[in-house]
Amino acid sequence: MADTKHVVRGERRLATRPRPQPSRARRPARLAPKLGRFALFALPGLVAYGLFVLLPILMTGYYSLTNRNPFNPPTEFVGFRNYVTLTGDPEFLQALTNTVIITLIVTVLANVGGLLVAMLLDRPSKLYLALRGVFFTPVVLSSVVISVIWRAVLTDDGLLNSALRGLGVTDPPGWLSDPELALYSIAWIITWQMLGFCVVVYLAGLQGVPRELQEAAAIDGAGGLARFRNVTWPMLAPALTINTVMLLITGFKAYDQIQVITNGGPGTGTTATMAFQVVKEAFVGNRIGYSSALAAVMLALVAGVSVVVLRVLQRREVTQ
Amino acid sequence: MTDARTHTWLRPLVAVFVGAVFFLPLYLMLVNVFKPGEEILPDPAGLPLPPTLENISGVFAREDNLFTFGLVNSIAVTALSITILTVLSAMLGHYLARSTRVFAKVLLVTLLCGLMIPIPVILSPMTSVLKAFDLMATLQGLVLVNVGYYVPFGVLLFMGFVKSVPRELEEAAELDGASKVRVFWQVVFPLLRPASASVLIFLGVWIWNDFLTPLIVLGPDSGTTVTVGVYRAIGQYESDFGDLFAFMFLATLPILIFYLALQKNFVKGLTGGAVKG
Repeated sequence: MADTKHVVRGERRLATRPRPQPSRARRPARLAPKLGRFALFALPGLVAYGLFVLLPILMTGYYSLTNRNPFNPPTEFVGFRNYVTLTGDPEFLQALTNTVIITLIVTVLANVGGLLVAMLLDRPSKLYLALRGVFFTPVVLSSVVISVIWRAVLTDDGLLNSALRGLGVTDPPGWLSDPELALYSIAWIITWQMLGFCVVVYLAGLQGVPRELQEAAAIDGAGGLARFRNVTWPMLAPALTINTVMLLITGFKAYDQIQVITNGGPGTGTTATMAFQVVKEAFVGNRIGYSSALAAVMLALVAGVSVVVLRVLQRREVTQ
Repeated sequence: MTDARTHTWLRPLVAVFVGAVFFLPLYLMLVNVFKPGEEILPDPAGLPLPPTLENISGVFAREDNLFTFGLVNSIAVTALSITILTVLSAMLGHYLARSTRVFAKVLLVTLLCGLMIPIPVILSPMTSVLKAFDLMATLQGLVLVNVGYYVPFGVLLFMGFVKSVPRELEEAAELDGASKVRVFWQVVFPLLRPASASVLIFLGVWIWNDFLTPLIVLGPDSGTTVTVGVYRAIGQYESDFGDLFAFMFLATLPILIFYLALQKNFVKGLTGGAVKG
């Protein structure tokens, strides 16, 4: 109660602020009412967005056509040379493959796992409410914190392998040091981090499935599986759309976990993603031109894939 | 229905088991915050009996003040960013939701495209823009970058909500002689409280947890946020999990409290809005 009162009072204080100078608000209304309203309400937010998102996008596009490198002037226009170089760059191709693998694993695993857990927790009781909180906790944590926890668990002499040795396993796997395994460990960590988000979205979807529909189907003789396929699943279409797009974007821009846990290794670039490669080229290699070309490709891919997937899934929502 | 009754004991059992396995990594961090460093690897899962506050006090006693400086920066950056974001995106969202012109539609689509843009794609030119304004390696610069980057999300949330506020309310207030500004702050904004709470929660958590942006924008010399502090602390503690976990625990606590506190307000705001509307 005390909290709400405080908020209300705060709002009133904000609200009374314009009162002492009514003339300022009225003047633009007389001169050019629409322009004044635009300048007052829309412009501040648009300027910030324009300066720190739109302008940088245009700059990335322009830089990608140059050989810009602050430590190696002069900057020259090189046309599409950076993009041509990309197609033959093994580091880029590996980063592209790694990004696709991570994105696929995260999208499939977190969707399936999230749905299963949501169906498990879809009961009205305090126990399931508490468990929902358990699954949601990683969503609120920083991926740096999550990365450090999982690093402590999965590192060679870490908590998991200590436990495995205690159980008599003589040669436990190098979850993060084996070049064959590390990428999958990273994908697993991101899946774990995103699972709670999917659980909450699917639970909201499940609660929108009318109980009468389920019962009617049961009376008609539909078994558990048939009821799920024909009644529940079609009604979860919007939840699937939200989760899939969210997971695709999350997987595609994976950076923090790689920077904190593996730094792209073990070996050369076995866990490097496109985002990792963009940052490395720009801030370690100072090859701004080349990094911008990589960034442009990454943006085109993430935008193209999300728009196509969104279209397909939304059309599916309508037809079902 | 029959199958629901036959397995009444199975569901809670499976649910608790799956939840426990899922929570295990977090449990390992929590118990080891309160365990002396040398006891962690021999017995990582054991309860910390008796618990020690050695690791926690160690974080505060650091000579480089990595935690305390980071905490102050994080609080300042997050509080400023989300306050400005709530105000700016409420106004912009209101403007775009009420405007019927093509121009406004184009603006909206341009803004929503921003939701898909990953930070690494714009990071390098973003620093060039900051340098041009002499704001690189400053907290103000980081706040401005946050505002620009997260404004589309705020607008998206507020727009959906503005549409549920009856236009007649605003027209009535205007007929009574209130200015546009006054109508917005005294009539519309209080009704948008649930949307404001959502924007504050989401963006508060995201901005507090941000890693790459503060790492690059603040740079190595001018201090860090607590989240970047966790990253900086890794190398120094190396295998001393106790100290590292305590650092992370303390870095997470403020935003977790903020989240839990506002979440309650969020529900209250929803019902409060309903009564008023």
